[in-house]
Amino acid sequence: MDEAGGRQAEDDRRDHARIGRGAILIFSYLLATGITSGALYALVALGIVIVYKSTEVVNLAHGELFMMGGFLAYTLHVMARVPYIPSLLLAVAGAFLIGIVTDRVAFRPLIREGLVSVLLATIGVSFILKGLARLIWGGKGDYLAFPPLVSPEPIRVGNVMIMSQQLVVLVAAIVVMLAFALFFKTTRAGKFMQATASNPKAATLVGIRVDRVYMYTFGVGAAVAGASAVLMAPLTLLYPDIGFLLFIKGFAAAVLGGLASVPGAIVGGLLVGILEQFAAGFIGTTVQDVSAFVVIMFALIFLPTGILGARGVRKI
Amino acid sequence: MRLLLGNRAFLVVLFAALALVPVVANQYTVYVGNLMMLYIILAVGLNLLVGFAGQLAFANAAMYGIGAYGAALLQVKLGWPYWLAAPSGALMAMAIGTLLAFPALRLSGIYLALATLAFAQATQWVLLHWETVTFGAGGFAVPEPDFRAVGLRASDGIYYVSWIVTVLLVIFAWRVVRSRVGRAMVAMRDREIAAQALGVDLLRYKAMAFALSGFYAGTAGALYSAVLNFVSPEGFDLFQMVLHKSMVVVGGLGSIVGSVLGAALLVYLLDVLRQFKATQEIVFGALLLGFVLFQPHGVVEFFRRHVPGWDEPLHS
Repeated sequence: MDEAGGRQAEDDRRDHARIGRGAILIFSYLLATGITSGALYALVALGIVIVYKSTEVVNLAHGELFMMGGFLAYTLHVMARVPYIPSLLLAVAGAFLIGIVTDRVAFRPLIREGLVSVLLATIGVSFILKGLARLIWGGKGDYLAFPPLVSPEPIRVGNVMIMSQQLVVLVAAIVVMLAFALFFKTTRAGKFMQATASNPKAATLVGIRVDRVYMYTFGVGAAVAGASAVLMAPLTLLYPDIGFLLFIKGFAAAVLGGLASVPGAIVGGLLVGILEQFAAGFIGTTVQDVSAFVVIMFALIFLPTGILGARGVRKI
Repeated sequence: MRLLLGNRAFLVVLFAALALVPVVANQYTVYVGNLMMLYIILAVGLNLLVGFAGQLAFANAAMYGIGAYGAALLQVKLGWPYWLAAPSGALMAMAIGTLLAFPALRLSGIYLALATLAFAQATQWVLLHWETVTFGAGGFAVPEPDFRAVGLRASDGIYYVSWIVTVLLVIFAWRVVRSRVGRAMVAMRDREIAAQALGVDLLRYKAMAFALSGFYAGTAGALYSAVLNFVSPEGFDLFQMVLHKSMVVVGGLGSIVGSVLGAALLVYLLDVLRQFKATQEIVFGALLLGFVLFQPHGVVEFFRRHVPGWDEPLHS
C-alpha cells in the first residue's frame, strides 16, 4: 500500500519533471524564434524611426520599400544567379534609390502642406509600388520562395534547437544595427542627420542643407528596410502584400519603444517579436497576426510616448 | 443661367440620370450605377470626418464591412428581414465608429492614422478568423430582399432603395456642414485649441464626426450586402481604404459635391479597370499622389473657379 503510494508519487514527480522540461523547451524555442523575428521587426522599426526622427513624418510606403528590396534581391539572386552578398548590397542600393524618389515625390513638395498631405501622398506611393510589384512579380497568391543561405540543419545551443538560418539572420540583423549606429556616430552625413533631427532651424543656420539631409534620411530608412527584407526573405515567402504586414509590425515596435527613439525601436521590435511568438504558441497561431494591431492600439492609448520615448510636450 | 450651371443643378441632373438607369439600361449598368451610389455615400461620409472634422482616420473600410456583415449576419443567423437588418447593421457601424472617437481625443495626426489603420486590420482579422460567426475567408451568400409587393425585380428594387437613401444622405450632409455642427467641425480641424477656447466641446464634435461617418459607411455596407447578395472579407480590405481616400481627395477635401463627383468618376474608372488588379492599384495610388501634389483641392476647385453659379462655400 505504502510502497504503491510511493511509486505513484515517484511517477508523478517524474511526469512533472518531464512536463517541466517540455515547457522549458517550448518556452526557449518560442523565445529564440521571437528574438529572430523581433530582430527583423526592429530593423523595420529602425527605418521608420530614422525617418520620423528627422522629418516628424511616418512614411506609410515603408513596408512597400521593404517589399521592393526583397523582390530586387529575388530577381538578382534567384533569377540572375548573382551571389547572395552582392545581391544584398544591390538590393539595399535599389531600396535607397526608391527611398530618395519617395522623398522627391511625396515629401519634399509637400513639406509645407502639412501632415495629412504627406501621409496621403505616401499611401499613394505605397499603392503604386505594390501594383508595380504585382505586375512584375506575379499576382495575388503568388508566393516566391527565396533559397536558404545555409543548410537547414538545426543547431543545438544548450537545451534549445535553433534553425541555423535564424541564427544567421539574427547575427546579420545585429551587424546592420551596429553598422547603422557607427554611421550615425562617425560619418559626416550621420552627424548632419542627427543635427537636423534635433533642431532643423539651427541645422540650417550652421550651413547644413536640410532638404538634402531629409532626402538621405528617406534613402537610409529605405536602405535599412531593403536590408531587413533581404535578410528575412529566406525565412519567409515573398509576395506583393507582405509590405503592409511588416510595416504594421515595425510600426507597433516603433510605437512601443517611442517613435523617436532608436534604442526604443530595437527594444520594441524584440518585444513585439517575442510577444507574437508567445501568443502564437500559447493561444493559437491565428493570434500571431493580430497581436501587432493589439500592441499598437494599447501602446497608443496607454503608453503614447513609448517605453524609451521622451515625455511629450503639447505643442500649440 | 447661374441656376442651370451651378452645383445644385449638377446634383439634380446626376441623380435624375441615376434614377433613370434601371428604365433604360441593362442589368450590368444597373449594378455599376448602384455601386456608384454606394461609393457616393462612402465618400461623403469619409469627407465629413477627414475633410470637415480634420480627423485623418483609416477605419472607413472597416465600418463599411461592419455594416455589411451586420446586416447580412442578422438575416442569415437570426432570420431578420432585410428592412430591419440593414438599419441595424448601419447603427452597429455607427456605434463602433463612435467608440473610435475616444482614442481620437488623445491621439492626432500620425498616431490617429495608424491606430485606426490597426483597428481596420484587426477588424479584417476578425472577419477572417471568427469563422463560427463570419464564415471566414470564403464569405457567404445573403438572401435577396423581396420587392414583389411593389412589382420590381430584386436588383431594381434595391437600386431604388439605394437611390432614395443616397439622396437623403447627401442632402443631410449638405445641411450638416452648413449648421452649427459643421462649423464646429471645421473650427476643430483648423485649430483644435482655438476651437476649444471658443467653446467647441471636442469630445462631442469628434464623437459626432466619427458617428456620422460610421453611419454613412455602415449604411453603404448594408446596401452593398443586398446589391451583391454576397459578403466576404476581401470586399473591405486595404484597397477599399485607398479607394475611399482617393475618391475624397480627387473630388475635393471639404466639399460634399466634390465627394459625389469624385465617387462617380472613380467608380467609372474602377469599372473600366475591373480586370486588372495591379493596374487598379497603380492608377488609384497615382491619382491620390497626383491630386495631393498638383490639385490639392480636388476637381471641385476647377468648377468653383470656372463655372458661374458654383457657390459651394470654401471649407478647404
